[in-house]
Amino acid sequence: MIKDFVKGLWRENPVFVQVLGMCPTLAVTTKAVFGLSMGLATTFVVVASGVVISAIRKFVPEQVRIPMFTVVIATFVTVADYVLKANFYQISKALGPYIPLIVVNCVILGRAEAFASKNNVSRSFLDALGMGIGFTCALIILGGVREILGAGTIFGYRILWEGFTNWIIMILPAGAFITLGLLVGAFNMIDKKVKGQRCGN
Amino acid sequence: MENDKIKKMFAGSVVRMIAALTIVGVMSGASLVFVYNYAMPRIKNNIKEETQKAIKNIFPEAEQIKKEEGYYSVNNSKGDLLGYAFTAEGNGYQGTIKLLAGISPDLLETIGMEVLESQETPGLGAEIATPKFKKQFNGLPIDGNIEYVKNKKPEKPNEIEAIAGATISSRAVVNILNKKIDKMKTIISSVDEGQGK
Amino acid sequence: MRELIVILIAASITNNFVLTYFLGICPFIGVSNKIDSAIGLGIATTFVMTMAATVTWLIYYYILIPFNLVFLQYVAFIIVIASFVQFVEMFIRKVSPPLYKTLGIFLPLITTNCAILGLTLFMVLRNYTFPQAVVFGLGAGIGFTLALVIMAGIREELEFADIPEPLKGTGITLIVAGMLALAFMGFGGIISG
Repeated sequence: MIKDFVKGLWRENPVFVQVLGMCPTLAVTTKAVFGLSMGLATTFVVVASGVVISAIRKFVPEQVRIPMFTVVIATFVTVADYVLKANFYQISKALGPYIPLIVVNCVILGRAEAFASKNNVSRSFLDALGMGIGFTCALIILGGVREILGAGTIFGYRILWEGFTNWIIMILPAGAFITLGLLVGAFNMIDKKVKGQRCGN
Repeated sequence: MENDKIKKMFAGSVVRMIAALTIVGVMSGASLVFVYNYAMPRIKNNIKEETQKAIKNIFPEAEQIKKEEGYYSVNNSKGDLLGYAFTAEGNGYQGTIKLLAGISPDLLETIGMEVLESQETPGLGAEIATPKFKKQFNGLPIDGNIEYVKNKKPEKPNEIEAIAGATISSRAVVNILNKKIDKMKTIISSVDEGQGK
Repeated sequence: MRELIVILIAASITNNFVLTYFLGICPFIGVSNKIDSAIGLGIATTFVMTMAATVTWLIYYYILIPFNLVFLQYVAFIIVIASFVQFVEMFIRKVSPPLYKTLGIFLPLITTNCAILGLTLFMVLRNYTFPQAVVFGLGAGIGFTLALVIMAGIREELEFADIPEPLKGTGITLIVAGMLALAFMGFGGIISG
């Protein structure tokens, strides 16, 4: 049970290992807070749709499962979109069309197809929660790095010295690709070290 | 016989498929209606509040903001007309720019400009939302068009200085404003005439 | 006319879907290691994009708005795209089996390509008219193909390069994409006129 939850955080991290859900990952992470909001919205959708799909999995005819999953996901995304617009207007404006694009985030359909449609509700819940949190953490890390170097702040608080010249490239699309590329590399390096130690023991 | 059996099986599964899809569709629609009814008034309110705040930034003394057909007329606490405000939008470098502009009651000069929405490049085009750039739009004569100059200080009263490295965004703002101000001048003056002012 | 050309160039080059909006990254990273398959996927996607823009525009302005069903927008769009891809697959299989052989394997991939849904959302956000929407779809498809093919060319060369172990695969692909994004930014002034 615990394993279902933990694997999304590291071993099967949706961003660093599975390289899924790239458009929101790269597009909205100009600031840590946008990464956090996008991560939470995605977590909501992946958990809610995971639970519902797992609950109805026995009634779903094999041939139409993908359209059905998609409708469920699109419904929850619309819910998330309206709730954000109603309560966190500024954030929703900043994230713009990338909230509706959660519909086609491969992480979500991927979890529905690979896990929720085959497992019971509580396991699907934990699996989805793990994936959602793993996704959120990756987005915060990426957003954090880009915000620190691109604006000298983190979550809006200034942490670099006053005279620091902002690396504008970090906020531009090019910076997103390069930072994520390096982060994936760093992730692989750490992962290898951890695995190497385990083997040594 | 065999054929019939297959037909029956197939018919059953088609019915089941359609039933399943319909149920999911209806549930989805129903829950969305519910969420829509909850969220829509709040969203409208958010937009209204944002507009009001922007109007108050342009007209600090604004007290009574009255919505007219296509624009707002802004009065101070004594009821004197401070000017008119309206939104204007158009394409920038990376998507739509939505602005709110204020002009004087005599329709001769701008009072100010606020950026409501833009997807311009952070650090470059997004500078259109900084006070330094916005301030240039205070008190520009609008009997003709607003113009922009590059890399030098404006000389004529109707000129603003484009942001270095973001000429496209700066020009977009100027164009959006020119187009809309022209339109508003005709609309507002025709309304005034209609009221016999 | 001028406006349509501007939209076409903006969608394909200056505001390239993959390199500035990050749409369609999954196939971009997954499929872009061979030029042949990149061209195949590119053409299939361009076709679906143009048609998707056409169909969703009609649905949005002639069904969703008149019947006050805008809140069904995302659900409706994704269903349209999914069924459209299905339809294209069946059609090509029937009409031209050789074409199906080259494009067929890519078609299911297209449904979950965010570029298509993204395209339809941007189209609505920007209030495009019908001809603008069609041209926008075409331009976005061309831009996607362009980025995919350039990337595939670079990746074929990369196979012979000495890349640090942890960066192999995804890491170096993303970094190269970053360089490409920088290069495409250089086109920024084109449509300033």
